[in-house]
Amino acid sequence: MVSDVLAGADPDASDSPPVLELHGELEEFSRAAPLDVTLRLAREIVTDPTYPTVRAWTRSGRSAVGCFPVYTPQELLHSIGLLPVALHGGGENVEISHADAALGSFLCSISKSTLELALTARLAPFRGFVFPYICDVSRNLEGIFARVLPETPTYMLHLPQNFRSGATVRFLVSEYRRLAERLERAGARPYAPGPLAASIELFNAQRSRIAELAARRRAHPGQISLAESYLLRRLGGLLPREIHVPLLDRVLAELSERPVRSRDAIRVALVGPFCEQPSLDLIDLLEQVGCEVVDDELLPLYGWYGRIDPSGDPLEALARAYVESPVDIGVRAAPSTKGGAILDRVEAANAQGVIFLTAKFCEPALEDIVLYRKALDRERIPYLHLEFEERSTSYEQARLQLETFVESILFD
Amino acid sequence: MTHPGEEVEDGPTSAREQQRRLVEEYYADLADAGGPRKPVAYMLVGGNLTEIVRSFGYEVVFPEIVALNCAIKHESLPNILHAEAQGYGLDVCGYVKNDLGLQELGGKTPFGRIPPPDLLVCSFSGCYVYIKWWEALAEKYGCPLFVLDVPYMRDERPRSEEIEYVVAQLNEFIALLERTTGRSFDRGELRRMLAHSRKAEEGWVRYLSAGRRRPSPIEAYFEAVFYMFPINVLRGTAAAADFYDTVDAEVTARVRAGEYPVPEEKVRLVVEGVPPYPSYRTFWDFFRRWGAVSVAATYPKVGGLFDQGFLHDPDRPLESIAEYSMAAYVNQSWGLRRRLIASYAKEFEADAVVIHGIKSCRSFTAGQGDLRDWLIHEQGIPTLYLESDHEDPRYFAPAQIKNRMDAFFESLDRRRSTVSLPMVGA
Repeated sequence: MVSDVLAGADPDASDSPPVLELHGELEEFSRAAPLDVTLRLAREIVTDPTYPTVRAWTRSGRSAVGCFPVYTPQELLHSIGLLPVALHGGGENVEISHADAALGSFLCSISKSTLELALTARLAPFRGFVFPYICDVSRNLEGIFARVLPETPTYMLHLPQNFRSGATVRFLVSEYRRLAERLERAGARPYAPGPLAASIELFNAQRSRIAELAARRRAHPGQISLAESYLLRRLGGLLPREIHVPLLDRVLAELSERPVRSRDAIRVALVGPFCEQPSLDLIDLLEQVGCEVVDDELLPLYGWYGRIDPSGDPLEALARAYVESPVDIGVRAAPSTKGGAILDRVEAANAQGVIFLTAKFCEPALEDIVLYRKALDRERIPYLHLEFEERSTSYEQARLQLETFVESILFD
Repeated sequence: MTHPGEEVEDGPTSAREQQRRLVEEYYADLADAGGPRKPVAYMLVGGNLTEIVRSFGYEVVFPEIVALNCAIKHESLPNILHAEAQGYGLDVCGYVKNDLGLQELGGKTPFGRIPPPDLLVCSFSGCYVYIKWWEALAEKYGCPLFVLDVPYMRDERPRSEEIEYVVAQLNEFIALLERTTGRSFDRGELRRMLAHSRKAEEGWVRYLSAGRRRPSPIEAYFEAVFYMFPINVLRGTAAAADFYDTVDAEVTARVRAGEYPVPEEKVRLVVEGVPPYPSYRTFWDFFRRWGAVSVAATYPKVGGLFDQGFLHDPDRPLESIAEYSMAAYVNQSWGLRRRLIASYAKEFEADAVVIHGIKSCRSFTAGQGDLRDWLIHEQGIPTLYLESDHEDPRYFAPAQIKNRMDAFFESLDRRRSTVSLPMVGA
């Protein structure tokens, strides 16, 4: 029974790694440190399902809200005094003991592990949760959270899917107001335009640094690995942005000093992991076998839009930025054809092939792939499809498939 | 009297015969549609806009209903296998695979050829897969695709800003239809159709309400599935409106004659979930063997929660269509779904709830385990969870399902006899 599970919940459950304790002001990330040290700490934090940055941040009474992928208006949450935290499931360190029974068996790992974290009190530091309507599982998960954590406010954010209507922005503004009101129970201040304008500028700064990091990787792929840049992006959803932005400034400065390594590799677009994230080992593997990822769908939140001008009505500007975003992933009914979209992406990134890396049971991704593949087949662009689950630990078969794929292009 | 183990047939009735005739006529008309004579719109059941589209002269195809008709006639697997050969994985919705396989195979079904679409109307109400499915059809056929974004229901009633949003989109849709067809919008014609819809909906609600009687003169899950066809497919027509008069008369006659879905009603059930269409009869028999009758069910509400007051209104045409669109059953939050099921159990005096989970349908199924937990532990209602698929016969394990059902009904029977003994002596 769910209530029994919650009553006996132990956040230090045996499947968790040792709990990492951080300074209350997260000084570990505020002070200058060599990049390698920062990345090592980032790796520990990202793989720790007890959310050490959130535990540290909320110790002094501050509030954090967990946001399920792929998009939540973080700027809005920040402006009402909350730390928006990107939820990314439990990774390889969470064993599913209770969530299967509540959710069902044929579902993605991220939904199950996120629920497992809730049922085992490892999400206790959070004061609220937002589940955007990106798929039926994310939507339904909110309903389960509302029952199993009745004291913690949750909100199912209806992200619009009609991107052509003149009424969509107005509706989304009303959704955002409703979200802000709901989160007052999570310790939020009432919404006001002034603080939102300031928050939008802070997130503008964060996105510009992340875009700069991506540009550096494209220009000098040997200077920073995919896994390293990914870790720095993941930190962006876990740290207060006031800490993350200066951290990225220091990283960018240090990167200039790093030697540029060159090697034989094929240029690939990585399509599919827009919600559930592959493990760091799998991300590492892509580069080990000789893939240079020149376009990817990992953590799409940071590329949703460019700079938002907060002058005028900032809430409307935020809603408009979401609606007018060019992001075309499996959970957004972008007014394009899927076949055309994949070919455009391959051309823009000058990719030699596509790797579809999809979470098992992720229906939006699985359905898009059929259309993508047809278009790639027509243009004779090579591709490879791999499925992953959070708890996968052995990648020998994936390695073999990837190596064969790389060789087939390199020696073509 | 029926006993466990005894096979029972559902005898043909006049309403059932009329329903069969309506189905045959519908598919015969469709087979003649297409080309320059009559344009075809594909639409989804949840939150559909059938009255608006029909008022512009379109014939309407519901690929979900085509899919379930294929499955119940044991014709879904070849379509599914063909879709899998195209690349659609094992975990993709069975309706989607049946339809996309069928489309690739030329639209041939046991009940006639399904014409290709001239227009795709995606009412995004309660199922994200709707969007993916219609994107695939749009890519294949290159015809216009309109997405009606229907907000998810999180409150008991739609909010004003939600209604305004949907109505604004409906006006944009009407403008698109005017451009596409070259016809002007006829508000009077829409009102006439909505009046037919209203009459059909009121008749449908009367039928569903009959499950409150003891014994129930209706089978609110297995039988209701047949009677859903007019309310979902033919809504807006006089034929659909009149059909429920026949049903009404038949239910009245059953009560008068003392004829019930099971001769001796032993267990009253609320059923949640989509049926396993490829094994429909087998599954139904597993209930009838135990004298179990569904007195209320959620699946017949996928087309709309008419019984909760979400009826079309000719005097408020677009507003009532907007409200109706939001009120598709799977567009209700889990909180609303839970409350609705508990209220059915109470109002229809059910002994238990049976949940049928669908392997490839996340919208309906994700969270049904939690629902079971809630019903048992917080509502005190005995609940059984079963799982197979609505389209794919490979996932129906009859022996396993029967064993679980037998054990459940046996324990219900035992529980009732132990509970009732002291009462008898009191």
